[in-house]
Amino acid sequence: MTAAGTAGAGTPAAEFPRPVPVPDERSAPFWAAAASHVLTAARCARCRSLAIPPDQVCPHCDATDPEFVFEPVSGRGRIRSWTVVRQSFLPGFNAELPYLLVDVELDEQQELRMIGRLLDGPDSPVRLGTPVRVAFEDLADGVSVPAFVLAGDPDSTGGSDSTGGSDSTGGSDSTGGSDPREGA
Amino acid sequence: MSGRLTSSNKVAVVGYAHSVVQRHNPRPLGALTVDIVREAIADAGLTPAQVDGIVAATLFPSAGSHTVEDGVHTVTTNWLAERLGASPRYVAGFQGVGQVSGSVALAVNAIVSGAADYVVLYRSLHNPRGSYHASSTDAFGGPAQWTAPTGYFGPLAMIALPYNEYLQRYGATREAMAAVLVEARKNGARIPWSYWYGKPLTAEQYLAAPTLTDPICRYDCDIPVDGVAAFVLTSADRAVDGPNRPVYVSGYAHAVPKTNNRLPLHWPLDDIMTAGLDTARRLWESAGVKPGEVDLPQMYDGFSPFVWFWLESLGLCPVGEAHRFVQDGRIDSDRPDALPILSGGGALGNGRMHGIPQMLECYLQLAGRAGDRQRAKATLAVACQSSPHYGGAVVYSVDPF
Repeated sequence: MTAAGTAGAGTPAAEFPRPVPVPDERSAPFWAAAASHVLTAARCARCRSLAIPPDQVCPHCDATDPEFVFEPVSGRGRIRSWTVVRQSFLPGFNAELPYLLVDVELDEQQELRMIGRLLDGPDSPVRLGTPVRVAFEDLADGVSVPAFVLAGDPDSTGGSDSTGGSDSTGGSDSTGGSDPREGA
Repeated sequence: MSGRLTSSNKVAVVGYAHSVVQRHNPRPLGALTVDIVREAIADAGLTPAQVDGIVAATLFPSAGSHTVEDGVHTVTTNWLAERLGASPRYVAGFQGVGQVSGSVALAVNAIVSGAADYVVLYRSLHNPRGSYHASSTDAFGGPAQWTAPTGYFGPLAMIALPYNEYLQRYGATREAMAAVLVEARKNGARIPWSYWYGKPLTAEQYLAAPTLTDPICRYDCDIPVDGVAAFVLTSADRAVDGPNRPVYVSGYAHAVPKTNNRLPLHWPLDDIMTAGLDTARRLWESAGVKPGEVDLPQMYDGFSPFVWFWLESLGLCPVGEAHRFVQDGRIDSDRPDALPILSGGGALGNGRMHGIPQMLECYLQLAGRAGDRQRAKATLAVACQSSPHYGGAVVYSVDPF
C-alpha cells in the first residue's frame, strides 16, 4: 500500500505510524496551510525573497528582522535530483518501501528547493527538469505533509496520476505572520 | 582576503599511534583512548607530563536514537585531560565538521601562539550496538520537521541526492565509481589495523551489491567502527629533536558553507562545488603551493562521491571529469605514474575513522614510516575531510619550505 493510495483517507496502514511534524511558533502557519493542502513559502518582508524553511536571519538579504510571512505558492516545479529509498531508518516507512524522493526547484524562485516523495511510485520516469506539482499526504487528522506528483506538460494540469493528491493552486488565506526565533 | 599562513611549516607532526579498527572493541572507548594517546606520546619520544595541549573533535556522527555518554560513545578533551597524566595548558574541542583537519588547525594555532608546546590530537570513534542511524522518533520538531515526515532522513539520502545530480548532469554511472571502491579496499586490505585487512573488493562485487538509497549501496558508505588514533604536534624548532622525521603542516582551510537557505541535510551539488572551490582556493593560498605540486593527495571518502567532489574542488581534474579521471589505473597507487588519492585506504578501506586515514597516510608516507607501502616519492601531501563544502583539508610537507 502506498501513501498515495490513502492520501486524504487518514493514516496509512502500518505497524507504526509515520512520524509527524511538530509545529513551532515559526513553522505553525506552514503546517496549518499544509493541513488544508496548500503549499506555502515564507516571504521576507525586507527583500521579498522566498525561503523554506524561514531562518532567524534571511538567507538572501541577511536581515535579522525578516518578518517572514508564509504565502501560497503554485506548488509547481522541476526535478533537480532524486533518489529511491529502499531501506528506511524511520518508523512507519517500511510499508512504503521502496519510495522515490525528489529534490524540486519551485517555479516561484531560482534555487527555492524542496524535498518530498513522488507519489507516482518508485519506477516513475523522472529526469532532470521533469515537471512536478505538489500533492499532500494526510498522516493524521489535521496533519498533512507536502509531496509531489508528475505534472506532465507544465502548461496543463493533466498529469496521468490518479494518486488522490490535491494540487495547491487554490489561494487560501496566507495564514498570518511568523515570528522567527530559533536557528535551524 | 586569505593568503599564506604565518604558521606555514612552523608546526610539525612528530608521532602517532593507532588502535585496531573493529566493529566492536571489547575495551571501553575512554580507556582505549588514554592508551592510544599515551602510545602516541611515547612514539614522539615524550612523556605525558611534557604534553601541555589536548585537542580533538568529538562529534558522534549518528542520526539514530542513541544516548551519547562522554568516555563511552565519545571522548571529549576534558574527559581525557582528567585522566591522561599530562600537564595541560590548552584543552580545546573542534566543534565543526572536518573534525580532524579542524583539530589540526587548533593544534597549529596553539603551538605557534605559545599556548602549548606539545599538543596531542586524537579522534575516538564508537559504533553503538543496534542500528547506527535508525530512529524511533514518531514526531519531529526543530529542523527535521521539514524533512523527516516526508521520509528524507539520515546521511544516505543526504549524499544520494547530490550524487545522483552529478550522475545525471555529467552522464556518469555507478560503474565509474567501482574504480574508487576497488582502490580504497585494495589499499585497506594491506593495512594490518584496518577493519578490511585482507579483504579487497572487486568491481563485480561492488556492482552486485543492491542499492540502499539509489545510487548508494553499502560499499559506498564507510562502515561504523570502534577505533582511536592520536598524533603529537610541536613546533618546527622542537620537532627536529624527536626520534621521527618531522612532517610539517604547510597550510589548512575549512569550508564556510551557506546552508540557511536549505532544508536540513539538503546538499545540492552546486552548493557543494561552489563552497568546495572556495575551500580549495584558500587551501592552496594558505600553504603557498599549487595542486600540481602535490604528490600524495588523500581524498575523503566517508561516502564515495566525496572523492569525486574533492578531486574537482581541489583542481586535480576539471569539474565534471572526476568520474573519468579515476579510471584506467590513474589512481592506482601501485603505478608510479598514477596519482595516489586513496593510498591509505581511506574510510572505505579502513572503517569510519573520519579524517584519520587521510592524515595518517600523509604522515606515514612523508615521515618515511609507511613500511611495505612506502612510496618512492612523497613530498607534498593533502588530507581532506568531509564534504568540500562542509569540511576541511590540510597540506603537509616533508620540508619546511
